[in-house]
Amino acid sequence: MDKDYDVCVIGSGAGGGPVALTLAEAGYSVVVLEKGPWLTEQDFYKDELACCRRSVYTPDLEDEQHVIENLYDGDWVGEATSESGWDFWNGNCVGGSSNFMSGFFYRLKPEDFRLLSEFGPIEGANVADWPIAYDDLEPWYTLVEKEVGISGRFVDHPFAEPRSTPDFPMPPTHEHPVVAQIDNACRKQGLHPLPTPRAILSGTKDERGGCAYSGYCGSYGCSTGAKGSSRAALLNRAVATGRCEIRAHAKVHKLISDTSGNVLAAHYFDADDRTQVVDAKIFVVACQAIETSRLLLSSSGPKHAQGLGNNKGQVGKNLLFSAGGSGTGDLEYAGMSDDNAAALKQRGPFVNRGLQDWYYIDDKAFGGRAKGGTVDFLLRHPNPIGKAMSEKWGEDDQLVWGRPLQQRLKSLFTDAQYLRYEIFCDWLPTDNCSVSLDTGIRDKWNTPVAKVRIGYHEHDLKVGRYINERARKVLEAMGAKNIHSGISGSPPQNLVAGGCRFGDDPATSVLNADCRAHDVENLYVTDGSFMPTGGSVPYTWTIYANAFRVADRIRSSL
Amino acid sequence: MTARHNAGINRREFLTQLAMLGTLAASYPASALVKLRTGKGAAAIPEWAGKDPWLTLAAVQEQMFPAGNGTPGASDIQAIVYLRNTLENPAADGEDREFVFNGVGWLNDLTQEHSGKPFIGLGEAQRETLLRQIEQSNAGQNWLSLLLTYLLEALLADPVYGGNPEGIGWRWLEHQPGFPRPPADRTWYRLGKPVYYRRKA
Repeated sequence: MDKDYDVCVIGSGAGGGPVALTLAEAGYSVVVLEKGPWLTEQDFYKDELACCRRSVYTPDLEDEQHVIENLYDGDWVGEATSESGWDFWNGNCVGGSSNFMSGFFYRLKPEDFRLLSEFGPIEGANVADWPIAYDDLEPWYTLVEKEVGISGRFVDHPFAEPRSTPDFPMPPTHEHPVVAQIDNACRKQGLHPLPTPRAILSGTKDERGGCAYSGYCGSYGCSTGAKGSSRAALLNRAVATGRCEIRAHAKVHKLISDTSGNVLAAHYFDADDRTQVVDAKIFVVACQAIETSRLLLSSSGPKHAQGLGNNKGQVGKNLLFSAGGSGTGDLEYAGMSDDNAAALKQRGPFVNRGLQDWYYIDDKAFGGRAKGGTVDFLLRHPNPIGKAMSEKWGEDDQLVWGRPLQQRLKSLFTDAQYLRYEIFCDWLPTDNCSVSLDTGIRDKWNTPVAKVRIGYHEHDLKVGRYINERARKVLEAMGAKNIHSGISGSPPQNLVAGGCRFGDDPATSVLNADCRAHDVENLYVTDGSFMPTGGSVPYTWTIYANAFRVADRIRSSL
Repeated sequence: MTARHNAGINRREFLTQLAMLGTLAASYPASALVKLRTGKGAAAIPEWAGKDPWLTLAAVQEQMFPAGNGTPGASDIQAIVYLRNTLENPAADGEDREFVFNGVGWLNDLTQEHSGKPFIGLGEAQRETLLRQIEQSNAGQNWLSLLLTYLLEALLADPVYGGNPEGIGWRWLEHQPGFPRPPADRTWYRLGKPVYYRRKA
């Protein structure tokens, strides 16, 4: 029987783009179904209202939301995000949240693929080894450097992961003058400051312009195409083959499966809320972790009573965020030379510095050898309204206005540059972090929303605190004042993975090593859902690399 | 909390804890009541701004963000123009609009009750006292907080939205805006449906 397409990809972010490009270039017909609009460089401006305060890139929470389950006095209590305002959407438009990332990219390391064998079990955590090794993914990490465009400069260090090429295909983006101070402070402490690779072009590449150094990158769409979003870097090229069709405003709500258990069709709501149907030989789900689990759980069928691929009850389990925290310190202009102050005030070049000296911890005081994490340095986000808003509240929850408010604003904006660091640690997989379907709340199309339980493991905080004690010292050595830092078990909603972990055992995993559902012959998952453990870096590079790897498997199977 | 939660608030709640206001009128001499901020911005004030709710709102804004030497005030940043553009925008959150307008009614009812004058008839010190008093109720605090939010947006959002003329707010705070800046045909409400009051970045 003829199908509409060879491959139907649901979701157009970092998990979907590589599949669409690879298969379209290989001569197959591909349709990409994306829930949000198709915005381009012509729609992206440095407009704080658009990106961050009214946000046109994510749904109104009254229309589409989540229920977040948190632990209160020993009970899991769900709260609708339309009530709390806690937004778990990260970018619903063609290219997904990769449009709005800051492009801070790290690979995983070999030990991340075998956390259980390497560091042993942790009570209360479902740590598992991956069914593939770093060497299996390495060529695909390298491919991403070229295809997506990662700029950087390789510097060897004690925990550096192996590379098959000597260096990045493109030199690093320009660096902010504060980098010299960071390097200096780190080296004095025997640390190895690393240039942060970025999925941002430092020069032109094909149709894409290089970075314009506006200084407004994370949370904003890129106006030049320099940012390696799935859209700019991959989907535009997929469409140019003539074999890839992107349908925006296509919200897939159910995958229909037949009596053999395989997927027949995707049903979606179009911009006018009418149901449309697409059939294809292969279906690839990449809606970002939470929505991917939700879609599978919503897609019961004759062979999948509890949802697609969920006969062992594993879909939605072991959801991951990124553990850690952050710190900030003030580099006060008073006492600096005018030149130094002017250099520090610059906005545009990147603070391309990170530390991986504590990626592994080997310290008796900690309790022996353990997995640690990454520290990334950055300037405080430049959004002026967001920054100013913190000043309207004073002591005792009283509002500040009038002259006192004006003085606070003047001081905040003109007295210092604010250097931050962020700590990325493994978010251990546990039974307390998962996705299910909420039984009460529905979206505007009357389908159940995802309920997300956000429990964390105490060990995550212990690791975070260990690194934080040390990262703070870098700010101290730089002479930063007013240093604040904190480690938290609150999940960063933009760093999410897991829920459909891959593995060799169908009883404990949803996907096989090729990221194909164990019991569905034509269903693949290529977003971050596949990850059994998260590693201690942002997920995007790994998602891109794995999606290219899986795309290659799909090509072989077609 | 999000502003949308304020829509259901009624006058009674707004006035809760305001019993102490009873002596307000007696505390200040009538001669000090009227001290409106006029001056250089006055000529530019459009006709609609001379009527409520905008008249009262502009007075509250000026109280919360007064003009000073070298410091732009609410009128300098066209805060009332920004507020009107924002609330009257068809894509805007109608609940915010309703809450802001209702608050004006409650505020003026209150000042009428105690001083026989509308809010704009009060002097600066009395305005301050009154606003600090209504802040003691949750609803009053939410209302003032929302107006402050819009004030700070008027100060620092792109001039295309009607506030921050010629980037005066940015210049005052030595803030370097990003580029490219949004043209009038790519403002947020022309790109898609809004979500109000996200707290990201």
